[in-house]
Amino acid sequence: MMLFQSIFTPPSSLFRHALFTSLALCLALAAAPSFAGSRILGTGGVSAIEGAAGGGLSPWAVLSSTASEQEIGVTAAATRAWVDDYRLTVTGASLNIYDRAEVSVARQTLDLETLGGELGQDIYGAKVRLLGDVLYHPWGIWSVGVQHKRLVDGTIPTALGADETSGTDVYLSTSKLLFSTVAGRNVLLNATLRNTDANQGGLLGFGGDQGSRSWVAEGSVGVFITPQWIVGAEYRQKPDNLSVAEEDDWQSLYIAYFFNKHLSLTGAWLDLGDIAGLPSQRGGYLSLQAAF
Amino acid sequence: MSYQRKHNPMRRCLIAVIFTTVAFSLAGCAHQSTNTPLYQRLGGEATIDAVVENLLYRIADDPEVVVFFANTNIDLFAESLASQLCDVSDGPCRYEGPPMDRAHQHMGLTDGHFNRLVEHLDAAMQEEGIALGARNELLGRLAPMYADIMRLQ
Repeated sequence: MMLFQSIFTPPSSLFRHALFTSLALCLALAAAPSFAGSRILGTGGVSAIEGAAGGGLSPWAVLSSTASEQEIGVTAAATRAWVDDYRLTVTGASLNIYDRAEVSVARQTLDLETLGGELGQDIYGAKVRLLGDVLYHPWGIWSVGVQHKRLVDGTIPTALGADETSGTDVYLSTSKLLFSTVAGRNVLLNATLRNTDANQGGLLGFGGDQGSRSWVAEGSVGVFITPQWIVGAEYRQKPDNLSVAEEDDWQSLYIAYFFNKHLSLTGAWLDLGDIAGLPSQRGGYLSLQAAF
Repeated sequence: MSYQRKHNPMRRCLIAVIFTTVAFSLAGCAHQSTNTPLYQRLGGEATIDAVVENLLYRIADDPEVVVFFANTNIDLFAESLASQLCDVSDGPCRYEGPPMDRAHQHMGLTDGHFNRLVEHLDAAMQEEGIALGARNELLGRLAPMYADIMRLQ
């Protein structure tokens, strides 16, 4: 982890993201069909903004890529979100080991386009599948996960009243595909219960004058219009720990296309509410994921 | 100083309730679907036989899967699978072959093999012109067999 940090700290965040993105594209191009995992298309979800396999905003119980019980899968993703006064860039990668454990790393950079400056954090995640399968098990798939987040520079979050510049989320997540549910289409349900003290996902630090750790719920519903196209909505509750920077729940409407088991593109419309004193942040989201 | 939280517990609770309701009502819908029986929507006996034949060609071309059929009487297997698909889709047949756990015991099947066969079956149905809705519904009815098939591996 130390090595990883030292590699990715110099010199500018743009450079780091570019490096990650080109790495992701190289992986995508290098991935021959023979390296495809043996799980069904789409069962690895896409990459959530915190690096874990999931939707866009929230982690799901499924593990990344399409690696099955005897395979190892590698996933890389580049994501950008544009809302009224901010721009978020995320690059991340994850490893699926035998469809049992997933480890992930993500770098988030939030450009404060109106306020000036930027905020950044690194997120190290792990997820373990407890039981089940998203397609075949009557209870779906159940996983627990942890996300350790460290701010690159805690000056602004601390000035806003955050207690800490690093924090750890834990979550329990379940996902289940319901076959032939809406007009013969399969429907994917996800629910996640998270314990967190992260303000705006951690970009505004951890804890504050109004509270610290709390349980929040996250959920999503998606319809596979075809086996390659999924459209749906996500909702993510958030804590509200800082009195000077009121925080709202996040929601999105998303559409994702799985070109094949290696490549997917996700687009979304976001409503992130108030962020750091600037009201009703809405905008778009694009995420490209490569897996092999 | 009084401070008004924008997201009171009431609203959060409401959102959670809405999500749960949507989830359960969707789960409830899963078994209603359309009025035409699945067997007819799959195209009846002719199409099911064609799907089975198409699937067998795909299996024969897949070195990872074909090994499991080395000692199988293919004609018998084709007949048995067709009657099972007919039975599962509420057609006028009764599957009288061995139970799924015994039929697959000690074959050393992995999730990878299972998924590969699912992909071949779906591709075969697609090639034989079965609509997505009927394909999904048949796959949904076959999915619970996973537990039986994998029980004695």
